[in-house]
Amino acid sequence: MSHSPHAPKEPKGHEAGPSASAGLPVHLRTAVLDDVPALVPLVLRLKSLNEEFDPLLKVRKDAEKMAAEILTRDIKDPEAIVLATEGVGADKDRIVGVVRARIRERPFYTPEREGVILDIYLLPLYRRHGVGEYLLEEITKLVKEKGAGVLTAEFPLQNHIAASFYNKRGFRPTTGLYSRPL
Amino acid sequence: MVQATSPSAEPPRGSRPRAVLGADDEARTDALGERALALARFYQGKIETVPKVPVRSLADFSVWYTPGIAQVSRAIEKDPDLSFELTGRWNTIAIITDGSRVLGLGDVGPAAAMPVMEGKALLFRYLGGVNAIPVPIAIDTDEEFIDTVIRLSPAFGGINLEDVASPKCFRILGELQRRLPIPVWHDDQLGTAAATIGGLLNALTLTDRDIRTTRTVLLGAGAANIATARLLLSLGQDPHQLTLVDQKGILFAERDDVDSLSLRNTWKYHLALSTNGGGRRGGLAEALKDADVLLAASRPDPTMISPAAIRSMAAKPIVFALANPVPEIWPDQARAAGAAIVATGRSDFPNQVNNSLVFPGVFRGVLDARARSIPDDIVIAAARELAAHADDQGLTPDHILPTMEEVGIFPHIAAATAETAVRLGIARAKRTREEFYARALEIMQHSVRLATRLREEGLTLPMPDEPSGGNGTP
Repeated sequence: MSHSPHAPKEPKGHEAGPSASAGLPVHLRTAVLDDVPALVPLVLRLKSLNEEFDPLLKVRKDAEKMAAEILTRDIKDPEAIVLATEGVGADKDRIVGVVRARIRERPFYTPEREGVILDIYLLPLYRRHGVGEYLLEEITKLVKEKGAGVLTAEFPLQNHIAASFYNKRGFRPTTGLYSRPL
Repeated sequence: MVQATSPSAEPPRGSRPRAVLGADDEARTDALGERALALARFYQGKIETVPKVPVRSLADFSVWYTPGIAQVSRAIEKDPDLSFELTGRWNTIAIITDGSRVLGLGDVGPAAAMPVMEGKALLFRYLGGVNAIPVPIAIDTDEEFIDTVIRLSPAFGGINLEDVASPKCFRILGELQRRLPIPVWHDDQLGTAAATIGGLLNALTLTDRDIRTTRTVLLGAGAANIATARLLLSLGQDPHQLTLVDQKGILFAERDDVDSLSLRNTWKYHLALSTNGGGRRGGLAEALKDADVLLAASRPDPTMISPAAIRSMAAKPIVFALANPVPEIWPDQARAAGAAIVATGRSDFPNQVNNSLVFPGVFRGVLDARARSIPDDIVIAAARELAAHADDQGLTPDHILPTMEEVGIFPHIAAATAETAVRLGIARAKRTREEFYARALEIMQHSVRLATRLREEGLTLPMPDEPSGGNGTP
């Protein structure tokens, strides 16, 4: 499997050390283009979940194609990070989770660059056990390496499980997105 | 539920074609409905409050009411637990509903739920000797529901939630159990689950099975079966050998709706993660292959379970088809397909799984023990007592549970419940099992005596459609 095009900026790609993932039922690595077919259903599961919260989050018919395009774009983009979470043991080589984050400029504020977690999804059986925590630690390291001074996460405001996850880890609500259909 | 069917109206089991049985049943149900409506018009309510202290003259009100009563209030102000000794709180519960899932009618709202709650109050009074007050509440959110019950709780020694829709019933029950220092019960979950487990324990015995090695399938994942699943697991059921099936098919960790369940139905979500070892996929047919036990609490449709699916089960399978008023498969069809033991929710077939066997005794027990809560151990104790009672009367494939005629069961369930509360350290009143039994029997007998005397005295009016009035006077 080849590394993503942004790998040259991180000569060895990203492989979490065994110490970081010790005891966890997952293994984390940078996603490559070959992973896209396995990552798409995970992103779609996340988007379908978002449908629960608001009719304005109704998933498009072509969402599958869009997910593949966006994952492909971001795997190639040095200003984005896509991580694939693999199972271990019997589930080795099976992709059970995805994290997608992008670096954004903050033209009016400091810090000037932020890392935004746009998608983070783990299959239910791999949750808990501190896996989410571990994904967050890894993504934190990676966005810092890209010069981000703040880490943010985008998710539907009504997702109280996500809100509680981030609240417990030192995040606080800063900006919000209010919508009305036209 | 207790059904007022006359013996002559009951069709001999398995002796008629399906369509005929269904039509008869429908006609009988319609007739009962018409009669209930006429009697509701006549009686205008099924319960009323009556004094339990003598009123010899108006002067007595100076102790029953002001000024004397102020001292009783002051005593309770100093020690709130005295409200259980100096008022009727010890024996009074609220039957609370938002009317969101009344019988098979659905979301009829609180006012329309009232006749059902009154009926339940009558059963509580007559069978359990419990003063049960129907309290349908108009609420919009779960939080309002929880908040309202908490605010009402100082008047009551216990709370019975009734006909509250799944999945909100799980969180509401859980929160109230956590936050209130009195027993909170949801009969559609716990009553039904206790009766199911009681019958199942005997069915396992009769077919030489051990729950720890039994492969069990639950059809339907609503209030009753989610509670049943939890009780099964605490009885030693191996989660890998347990499979839940709902309208979307087999429940498993990666099913499309599992993330949604994680938000809306935590209990089902956790079952999705822990059950169905071996990763079966598909529907009921796939789930049932080689299964020992099927517990169905799904939809009143006699084609929900096919005879072929039962034939694919392990030898001597156990089939509970508990939907009301029509089971998921007719008992004789299930037997013809090889089911060794069949139970339904109906009184006109053998082995009726009936929550009315459970709740009067359980509440009598927790009230007499002044329990702080009703943990699952108490539900299981009630189930075991049911099973033991049926066993005492002789276990057969057609007698795995007591019938409603076996009224002797109620004080025994009360005693088993109260004794368990003491053992768990959640009882404020500690007595021996024998003492609890004697007390429950006395209160229950008093209740029946009271009803009988009121009827004999003509204070409870005879039914207008029965000229003899059944008032005991020739």
